[in-house]
Amino acid sequence: MPVVVVTGEIDLAVAPSLRESLTELLAAGHCNIFVDLIDATFLDSIALGVLVGALEQCREAGGDLKLLVTEPRILRVLEITGLSATFSIHSSRDEVSSSNSNGGLRERLEEASQQ
Amino acid sequence: MMEPAGDALIQEDHELIELSFPAHPDLVVLARFAAATVAARAGFDVEEIEDLRLAVDELFVSLGPMTRNACVRIELDRRGDTVSIVSSFEGVTARSAMERAMGQQDETWEKAAELSELLLDSLVDEHGRETRSGGPVAWLSKRRSFAQ
Repeated sequence: MPVVVVTGEIDLAVAPSLRESLTELLAAGHCNIFVDLIDATFLDSIALGVLVGALEQCREAGGDLKLLVTEPRILRVLEITGLSATFSIHSSRDEVSSSNSNGGLRERLEEASQQ
Repeated sequence: MMEPAGDALIQEDHELIELSFPAHPDLVVLARFAAATVAARAGFDVEEIEDLRLAVDELFVSLGPMTRNACVRIELDRRGDTVSIVSSFEGVTARSAMERAMGQQDETWEKAAELSELLLDSLVDEHGRETRSGGPVAWLSKRRSFAQ
């Protein structure tokens, strides 16, 4: 299962790169994707919109888009928007490893501009 | 009873910060930085500062996609323990307004607009959006919690 690792602040500037990464994976036929947000520190509604769009496409294709989240602020944003009930949310990278025992594609998306 | 000196200053202070920068997503970080600084000066705690940083981002989402040749203008007004922020586009031409309207029909922006409304409802005390002669204007107001 491919894992997209997202770090730093995911905002208006970075969300298009996240969308591009997810679109490429979907176009390549991957419909089960993990998005690793463990090292993400900020997530705005544009980034959430990208994740929701990709989730819908994954589910339409019979798969799922799962999130790895431990940062309380990111969890709070998901709670406020009601998306914590929409996404399958995991808190440990071990959970990804165990479902990825045959070695998954990893794609790293880093914040373009560090503050 | 004597009031702490810091609190007295915060109660009396008023300051207005105005920023203007090219409408490019990379530069929204400047608005977040300014909002965090003003919030800290108003005595907001760390959680409240983070809330305001996110809320500022959401103001830009509610304005719609950024377009070429426009500028973003942001006013941060601190009065006592309340921070008010107004953001708008300047130099909006008919073409850029059309580009923005088309961009807002993009699926991601449609989803984001709904989510943004939920976030702003939760993060700040008041917020709104209106259209003035120069284009759309989005605003918010957040007061420091007294639970500190």
